[in-house]
Amino acid sequence: MRKMKRFMAAALAVVCVMGAAGCAAANSDNDKKADANATTAAEGTKAAEEKSEALAASSGGIATKTSSVNPYTDELKIAWVPSNATEANGTAWGTGIGNELSYWSNVTYNIFDGETNADKQIQIIYDLIAQEYDGIIFQPYNSATTAAAVADAEKAGIPVVCINIDAETPHAGLVAMTDYEAGYAIGEEIAESLGGSGNVVVIQAKPGATRGENLEEGFQASMANHPDIKILDEQTAEWNMEKANTVMQDYLNKYGDQIDAVFCHNDQMAEGAGMACQNLDYKDILIWGANGETKALEYIEQDIITGTVYTNCYDQGATAARLLMMYLGSNIDTSTFTETPVIKMPPMTITKENVGTIGAEDRW
Amino acid sequence: MRQETLRRMISFVLLVILLIVFGTTSSSFFTVNNIMTLLREASVVGMLAVGVTMCIITGGNDLSCGALLGLVSMVVAHLYHYTALPLMAILLIALAVALLGGMLNGICVAVLQIPDFVATLSTKMIFTGLILVFAIRNSAGLITTETINNPSISALGGAFPGGLYYSVAAFFLLAILAQFYLKRTKSGTYLYAMGSNRKSAEYSGISFVKVKMTAFMISAFCAYIGALFLLGRNRAAETATGMGFEFQAISATVIGGCAFAGGRGDMIGTVIGVLFMQVLKNGIMKYNFSTQTQAVVSGVVIVVMLVFDAFYNDYMQKKTTRAAAIAREKKAVAE
Repeated sequence: MRKMKRFMAAALAVVCVMGAAGCAAANSDNDKKADANATTAAEGTKAAEEKSEALAASSGGIATKTSSVNPYTDELKIAWVPSNATEANGTAWGTGIGNELSYWSNVTYNIFDGETNADKQIQIIYDLIAQEYDGIIFQPYNSATTAAAVADAEKAGIPVVCINIDAETPHAGLVAMTDYEAGYAIGEEIAESLGGSGNVVVIQAKPGATRGENLEEGFQASMANHPDIKILDEQTAEWNMEKANTVMQDYLNKYGDQIDAVFCHNDQMAEGAGMACQNLDYKDILIWGANGETKALEYIEQDIITGTVYTNCYDQGATAARLLMMYLGSNIDTSTFTETPVIKMPPMTITKENVGTIGAEDRW
Repeated sequence: MRQETLRRMISFVLLVILLIVFGTTSSSFFTVNNIMTLLREASVVGMLAVGVTMCIITGGNDLSCGALLGLVSMVVAHLYHYTALPLMAILLIALAVALLGGMLNGICVAVLQIPDFVATLSTKMIFTGLILVFAIRNSAGLITTETINNPSISALGGAFPGGLYYSVAAFFLLAILAQFYLKRTKSGTYLYAMGSNRKSAEYSGISFVKVKMTAFMISAFCAYIGALFLLGRNRAAETATGMGFEFQAISATVIGGCAFAGGRGDMIGTVIGVLFMQVLKNGIMKYNFSTQTQAVVSGVVIVVMLVFDAFYNDYMQKKTTRAAAIAREKKAVAE
């Protein structure tokens, strides 16, 4: 044991020496929502090239790089790193990016699944830097944890455009779904339907997930306007439909008729909650999700869930791809940005009244 | 050739084959940047694997090491965010948390006699719950993640002038120290003795409690070191930090030739196993396979390696038994 203690002490000493050895530049904090810089893309599909000057100015990014590539002729490698490539959003964004990049025959487009794991995403980003990719489109699972990797990619001259969730470091751009606003809008819809008083339960995202955090903040801000609406309970179902089904059954067993409405942090969980209500014959409860995936729209048509906030993910992915290609073809040095330019996709509250306006080609 | 050496040689040859396959089929594999990145990504799981190897050699396992790594990271982030303690004090508190975690595992397994698998799966849940307890919360009470803007923490994510990351050096240093401990100290030999035959070891006066405690404490210490370097790289801790790392560490350890039943394995094999896993992960990304294909190919290679290990163990056991029987027969004939 004495020898072992000596080994441990030696190893700890090495760590401490390494820790004290150097220092690195601290990341500057970046406002998560970056509202001040937000640029609303009315259609979300307008050519990003036209915005290059405005973006550069809004980013404080007047610095230029000495060399840029020709996006029409040079061989380029673009990576899409979603939080989860197999979920509806990830697939839809990936399809939108792929469709947009298919106009450039010289671009190789690859998808790397983050497997809902920030550490896996960080590993992928560093691997892409090592492989000298030209650009990265990234949906961080966690804003803070992935920030250092994004900063290193920018430092290596690889512009990173984030989708939906921002990395907490200045980078090339963010094409966001407006989670905070969506949470707020859902809160207001529920309040209006309940006439300003009632009881609500919440089925939350995985603890620590930035999207869930933003949705919840927006929802709470709305609830603060309606003091007669009481939040009875909040439990996580970790984005998962099955778990949401179980959580909703528990809520119904515990609170029964007291529940007037449910807010779920995504559509999958709303679908699970909807099925639980159907099975236990609680058909008058308002159930709201947030995403706008095809199955949720179908459930709205079938009266299984009440509503969702829809964003055209194909369009969002395509916008991110266009923005990235604009940077690659320009001489804007995104690594010098002090703030991240933001394009906000317009959210749309969907209920049974307007679900028919979402055509088959826009469903994902 | 000794069984252990032969098994290690097989793992090494397979690693070399993997390197040759990826090196000759991808132009971006054998670049300095890629090799340094590959080693860096292997290092944190490698540190956990060093600790897990100790537990497996004793005939046990540690399924809680990934969660303990996450807990240590979260404790550092929590104290950094909410208190004004100096960094050294925070690191010492985090070390105490890690060692308490290891001690809890040791008590469950050695004193309460709960099987390793069940005990460490249960403590994993405790550690995961504690991560949520220590998680940083915003003004609305929601769990959030905050960047640790400390130059010393950031420095842990840095590299030597040649590009070799500190975490890689720490991993190899830890592996060398652990190898020395296993092969050159009496206490290390006890780990093998306990894994080979617990009853014989106890008859020889080796304490089951001490051996198990030692293995889990080393595993906890490795999780602590891994957590520091992970914080150095990410500069933040989130609620999912370290989740799933234990399975990577255990797979790497077994691929490196450590017998699940205990009594066989060492750090050379574990390092080979860790590198094998990371080379596979890194190399497969170069082929631009779809996500599903990548997962299936990686999974198949790992399963093949584990199945091979099971067959190899079985074959070697039969071979040893047969050799012993022949020797006995020869001796009887001679007499």
